[in-house]
Amino acid sequence: MVAMNPPTEQDTRGVRNDIRGLAEPDAEAPKVARIEGGTATFDAADLSPRLVNLELRRLVYGEGVREIRVENPGAKHSIAVGLLARCRITINGSLGYFGATLGDGPEIHITGRVGWSVAENMMSGVVVIDKNAGSLTGAAMRGGDLVVRGHVGARTGIDQKGGTIIIGGNAGSMTGFMMQRGRQIICGDVGPGMGDSMYDGAIYVGGTVAALGVDCVEEELTPDDEELLDRKLGIYRMDRPDTFRKFVCGKQLYNYDNLEPSERKLVL
Amino acid sequence: MADEMASSESMGLGKSRIFTPEVINDIHVKADLGRYRMRGGGIFKKIPHWDELVFLPGTLTRFVIEGYREKCTTKTVLGSRFAKNPLELDIPIYITGMSFGALSLEAKMALAKGASMAGTATCSGEGGMIPPERDFSTKWYYQVIQSRYGFNPHHLMLADAVEFFIGQGCKVGMGGHLMGQKVTEQVAEMRSLPAGIDQRSPARHPDWLGPDDLSLKIQEVREATDYQVPIQLKLGASRVYDDVRMAAKCGPDVIFLDGAEGGTGAGPHIATEETGIPLLAAIPEARRALEDVGLADEIDLVVAGGIRNGGDVAKCIALGADAIAIGSAALMALGSNKEVEGADYQGTFGVSAAEFYHWHTGKDPAGITTQDPELRKRLDVDEGATRVYNFLHTLTLEVQMLARACGKTDVHSLEPEDLAALTTEAAAMARVPLAGTSYIPGVTESQTLEEIKTLLAKHVANDGGGSDV
Repeated sequence: MVAMNPPTEQDTRGVRNDIRGLAEPDAEAPKVARIEGGTATFDAADLSPRLVNLELRRLVYGEGVREIRVENPGAKHSIAVGLLARCRITINGSLGYFGATLGDGPEIHITGRVGWSVAENMMSGVVVIDKNAGSLTGAAMRGGDLVVRGHVGARTGIDQKGGTIIIGGNAGSMTGFMMQRGRQIICGDVGPGMGDSMYDGAIYVGGTVAALGVDCVEEELTPDDEELLDRKLGIYRMDRPDTFRKFVCGKQLYNYDNLEPSERKLVL
Repeated sequence: MADEMASSESMGLGKSRIFTPEVINDIHVKADLGRYRMRGGGIFKKIPHWDELVFLPGTLTRFVIEGYREKCTTKTVLGSRFAKNPLELDIPIYITGMSFGALSLEAKMALAKGASMAGTATCSGEGGMIPPERDFSTKWYYQVIQSRYGFNPHHLMLADAVEFFIGQGCKVGMGGHLMGQKVTEQVAEMRSLPAGIDQRSPARHPDWLGPDDLSLKIQEVREATDYQVPIQLKLGASRVYDDVRMAAKCGPDVIFLDGAEGGTGAGPHIATEETGIPLLAAIPEARRALEDVGLADEIDLVVAGGIRNGGDVAKCIALGADAIAIGSAALMALGSNKEVEGADYQGTFGVSAAEFYHWHTGKDPAGITTQDPELRKRLDVDEGATRVYNFLHTLTLEVQMLARACGKTDVHSLEPEDLAALTTEAAAMARVPLAGTSYIPGVTESQTLEEIKTLLAKHVANDGGGSDV
């Protein structure tokens, strides 16, 4: 257990809260991490999200630490956001909403569960979640690998613009909604409305699909697809279902101002 | 004897005010197209507007400020609630978010340069950051918009302020539109989209749904930007009182209200005409909401929508806005809707230059709302920047002029009391008295009702409830 510094008068005076108690503009890094060599560990049990992030930023940018372990994250929101450097962070527990988002480079391993919008807008790097994730997983993601070993909620990879989302379990409704680019590999079953209004990219499904969304169509797997599936699932040591099906955009909505009369009802 | 079937014009019964020639033509076009009609620009139909308010300058009851000798401050600070570095503008006007895609590279650069010359800000708009715009902008908003096209955390770190786009006054409840002819390879690549598609942006954000999630999203962006810059929420003016109350409780530094008069690069005509409420009705509602949640002194209010001159700007400030954003007028200052050598507006679009609303077509003869390399050559960045600067400067002079006449040494001291309305509609919406009277529709009646209630209560108390009935 890492020793905590008691809050000083300076700390408490500098904190102003909004109605929801979320704003701490004047906080400073608590400097509670134990640094040994290139590795740091700290306990987040008594730290606000602001203090956890300040400590992470101090370690990554200030101390040049490349390997960090966070204990007792307590399902807090907005943890490990906006990290724009190569580093490896293990979060030993669960996170709330907006975990590990807006990152470019970090490899983040979350041993528990996560709430909504994990790895939102990730540019590059790796986020691995050992258990389940909520809805909007990997929203607007642009690059990197996002791995959920358990199940995920609705709208996984909504507005996805790149990267690979890999789900070990099942995915909820509207998976890949308005997906633009990138790949999703879902080993389990997927709910209704899959790939609705997708522009591009591919969704690979190992289990059943309840129903496809508007303008999502099935396509034959190529040897390249098989290689991708083997490689990605191999990297994260995940069980590969025997067969996968591949779904892509039907491209009927690209210029729906010019739809033929028979196609118009697609958008109703 | 009269003959109803006679062809004489004098026997005609009149014309339909409902099925006008424009309406009939619209029905014919839709019957051919099989879809709603797209266009650029703002609302066409007549709505209560700033023309229906006037200022009540000082005479004997208030002394006025010397026009050319005494100072009238225009400095505007936004977002000092939580941001370590609030946005400091030299003037209370800045250039609102308009995307690269909707506008040409040259237009974005000229707006940025002109705004910087005036000491004020620009905004990225949808579609991501273009480095030349950031380079030319001394103060720059980065937009977190529903589509997140081109959104990049590295660019987020370069922002002087962050705007969450939740809606726009022109088409409240809808995402952006960019027609295929403007989705060039470059625009498409920045947005991670296939080139040439008709792009309809999402209307909802991908990573939050309601106000509870939004407050967490704001927290996320604050964490990512280390509380350095203000967070602004842009709302289309709709159910303003409730929306602003909710927005305020999500914890922003600034709320931006966009009135129904606001324009767009491309949008469905029906949405432009039929969504949102006028800005003069929205601002008082927003002020009331901020007062009621006790955050009127903490959260700044920016407004936009159909602003044409310093009079409009001054009226917004008087009703309670801290800053005003302009879009359509800035494009016109750049040279939109202006006769251009070699352009045939009438022949190409069927309208005169002044009535040109075809920003969505990508064929703007002025080289502003286009991606066509040949048309873009018509806009000179430096000349455009100077025109934008001149216009921003003129707006500021006009605001100062009206503020001084009303006896203010700071334009932000303008207040509702400085205004009167010319129509009952404007009086009711803006909650200022009808000119020459003290009558504010709705407000006066409420006050009278309260007085009657008080008198009745006194009467009941005095005679013990009227037992002799």
